[in-house]
Amino acid sequence: MQKPTWKSTLKGYLYLLPALLILIVFSIYPIIKSFLMSFYTDYDFFNDTVNAYGFENFTKLFQDPNFITALKNTGIFVIGVVPLSIIISLAIAVLLNSKIKLSGFFRTIYFLPFVTSVVAVAIVWSWIFHSDYGLLNYALGLFGIDPINWLTNPTYAMPALIILSIWKGLGFNIIIFLAGLQNIGNQYYLAAKVDGASAWYRFKHITLPLLSPTMFFVSIISIINAFKVFDEIFALFNGRPGPANSALTVVYYVYQKFYEEWEFGLASAAAFVLFIIIFLFTIIQLIVGKKFVHYN
Amino acid sequence: MKKVIAVLSLFLVLFLAACNNSSGANANGDSDANGPVEIEFWHAMSGPHEEAIKKFADDFNSAHEDITIKPVNQGSYDDLQQKIMAAAKAGNLPDMAQATTNVIPEYIDNKFITSLNDFIEDPEIGLSEDELNDYIEVFRDSSTWDDTYYSLPFSKSTRVLYYNQTLLEENGLEVPKTWDELQEVAKTVTKDGVVGMGFENSYEAEFQGILKQMGGTYMDEETGEPQFASKEGQEAMTFIKDMIDDGIARTAGEDEYMSNPFGRGDVAMYIGSSAGIPHVDGAMEDGIEWSTAPIPTLDGQAATTFAGNDVVIFNQSEEAEQKAAWEFMKYLTSPEVTSEWSMLSGYLPIRQSALDTEEYQTFLEENPAYKAGTEQFDAGFFIARVPGGDAVRNIVLEEMDYILQGMKSVEEGLTEAQDRAKAELQ
Amino acid sequence: MRKEALSKGTIYVLLSLGAILMLLPFVWMISTSLKAPNEVMAMPPVWIPSEWQFENYSSASEAAPFGTYFFNSIIVTVLTTIGELLTTILAAYAFSRINFHGKGVVFAVLLGTMMVPGEMLLIPNFVTVSNLGWIDSYEGLVIPWIASIFSIFLLRQYFFSVPQELSYAAKVDGCSDFKFLWYVMVPLAKPALITIALLKIIGSWNAFLWPLIVTNSQELRTLPVGLSAFTTEAGIKYELLMAASTMVILPMLLLFFVMQKYVISGVARSGLKG
Repeated sequence: MQKPTWKSTLKGYLYLLPALLILIVFSIYPIIKSFLMSFYTDYDFFNDTVNAYGFENFTKLFQDPNFITALKNTGIFVIGVVPLSIIISLAIAVLLNSKIKLSGFFRTIYFLPFVTSVVAVAIVWSWIFHSDYGLLNYALGLFGIDPINWLTNPTYAMPALIILSIWKGLGFNIIIFLAGLQNIGNQYYLAAKVDGASAWYRFKHITLPLLSPTMFFVSIISIINAFKVFDEIFALFNGRPGPANSALTVVYYVYQKFYEEWEFGLASAAAFVLFIIIFLFTIIQLIVGKKFVHYN
Repeated sequence: MKKVIAVLSLFLVLFLAACNNSSGANANGDSDANGPVEIEFWHAMSGPHEEAIKKFADDFNSAHEDITIKPVNQGSYDDLQQKIMAAAKAGNLPDMAQATTNVIPEYIDNKFITSLNDFIEDPEIGLSEDELNDYIEVFRDSSTWDDTYYSLPFSKSTRVLYYNQTLLEENGLEVPKTWDELQEVAKTVTKDGVVGMGFENSYEAEFQGILKQMGGTYMDEETGEPQFASKEGQEAMTFIKDMIDDGIARTAGEDEYMSNPFGRGDVAMYIGSSAGIPHVDGAMEDGIEWSTAPIPTLDGQAATTFAGNDVVIFNQSEEAEQKAAWEFMKYLTSPEVTSEWSMLSGYLPIRQSALDTEEYQTFLEENPAYKAGTEQFDAGFFIARVPGGDAVRNIVLEEMDYILQGMKSVEEGLTEAQDRAKAELQ
Repeated sequence: MRKEALSKGTIYVLLSLGAILMLLPFVWMISTSLKAPNEVMAMPPVWIPSEWQFENYSSASEAAPFGTYFFNSIIVTVLTTIGELLTTILAAYAFSRINFHGKGVVFAVLLGTMMVPGEMLLIPNFVTVSNLGWIDSYEGLVIPWIASIFSIFLLRQYFFSVPQELSYAAKVDGCSDFKFLWYVMVPLAKPALITIALLKIIGSWNAFLWPLIVTNSQELRTLPVGLSAFTTEAGIKYELLMAASTMVILPMLLLFFVMQKYVISGVARSGLKG
């Protein structure tokens, strides 16, 4: 490629113009604006004027028991979803990778939920979770388990949300794991087999270590996605954050403050806290993940 | 190179133009210079209620060549309120809307609704003294702020007790008239998967009613200070909670509205808005007889909250549009329409003359389920109107949820709710 | 060869069990959507309706304007997809084939913004869109979404793999930059473009939070927003609710069945975006 000239620079920016225009207005400017907004302590949305700035939003935020609940619930959600989802999807990926026929067919099925509307499937699941007429309680009843109030008991609301989220996201993890598994050279296994290593030994000493970059990658992505959960909750509990705020997450809190209570400053501050959390995980990914780049 | 930009900008311009046209026609009720004035009316009425509204709009439209009313359903009351706030900012408010009394102070503060006094006093299109006084006084009062009308009453309801006649008869039981009787009935019929008593998810209305019956105050009328964490308040809450803990009562929960489980016969009785009647009618399974009764009394005290919506006009519309909206507002609250509305919806007629018509009285005789609502006019009361009232309601519901789930004691929850409400109202 | 840990048969059984669990919600949804009201609540559950009630679909469409929602979803999906493809092609070309001042900085800034969760942009974007008067309009639904850093990044990588010699050859033939991009690069990058388009289509079709807050009138609701509103509008009639959900889910399932190769390869790479 030639050295940049004035002419090529002009040309370059002309090509970039449409994308840049949109990205500046709707991605870059809002990042700065969102940061500024979190310091708006007295904001008149109707006239778009700010009457006072300050740090109060952040102090208010951490004094609000609902925000603490939201942080806690988000944490529980992440811990509930990520490890389980990874274990299940890894197991399925390993099974799918065992050179059976119909592997593509199964992969398609496991992937189906991923392409569907979260709102629609959450509504379907809310029907499955129905305490009196739901499929799940009926199935549990066959094993002699009493009906569970999945959607109205704060103890079970989070598990219900976790079940839905694992089901929805399994396909994605399986695809990534399959890609990772297929990158592991066959010679390792052949060598191990010659040595007479058992299947479990091979899994533990070859598959897992060689798959660790993929696992790390999937974990970070899953954690980040889990921190952003919203649509599922909105649809599953019909526009409420679960019984007694038991499914109130950080993004839901942002939505409440912003769209239900019009507290733009407080909402922005909460969004900013979310950003910091996600940013930390992204940084970890970038630093630790650098050496695994060839997997992508 | 030029071509790229030319093609791209052409594309963008065309696409924006196309969008502008469609959204202009769709979203805002702005009218052409020649055609009829189009009035957009946002509401939160669904099912049979929405049908009735559509009918009124059609009737009105065919009688007024120069006006077209376009009713738009905005989902729940909360959705409606959120959409109005968003639209107010973006400058694309509709011409008129339903609004709960709770939220109107906020609209007044932000100066986007029209004072109706000029319309009312207008000799040509206004209301005569007699006409104005025909609006039932409690409702008139709830539509004025410092002698200024910002709204007219439209859909007003009281709470009534729905009961499954078939089930009560099978058990040889009478319709309960007091809370004691109600508890007895609920205890007896709670079996075989049936729960005796039901509360709506928004049962703060029942809390307010029982609190009043116990002699307590929810919010001070004068100062607007919340006082519900009192001894009476705790008793009222305990009263509700005990029934639920004992398994003889439940909330609507995931069924959203009590009409669903009641219609299936899973709940023998429930307290809900009188406007739920047509919904219950629609949800009722064949072979179940049902009706309504006034709210049970407590120590001889009767009390029920008035709830419901007014209609307001927004000032972002042009004068001609506001005038047209006023015409429709008058029409909606006319004695004929309000009585028809009441017969179709279960809401109360808001004009004295409508209540008194023979047609309406005959209707009540033939449809006893609609009777309980109007029988309770004297027992009805309004919760103090304060800016931020809607937020207080959400706080109370949230804390009551904690109490019911056993995560906070009655005293803790109510005290916290009261403190938060006070902070909110400051 | 040594014995495998699990026999082929066991693997099939395990995978089939899992597959049934994955499919069950869809089957249950479709089954419920075709039932008469009395069978919906039947215990034990009825799997195959005794009489197939296809009219549930028309009843749902009557109860709420799903035709309009469908139309809006298609308009928004098509416009955002075309828009994103155009902006992406141009930008990816600039980043891969043109050398200009500040290129590195611009690219780094764009990559950096990919780390920011979309939820953080929600509030300022809502303010921007309402200042522009785009609340409750197709502009508000479409324009913020017609450029994607991830897509630019993906296509740029693809463009790099096109041999540089091709562009020299084209230059010799007197082909302008734009013609070269349009007639040579774009056809060559077809697989990447299809992937980008499919991911965008799925994303747009299923998007919820943004359309929820920027639409006010029924006329502009997209399917997910309309469906969510339907749960309050219709009371809870599960047969209608499931019929409506089927209408939202089915188009994407069909699209996925036809184009799954591209979707899966795209998703494998999109992991980066999160």
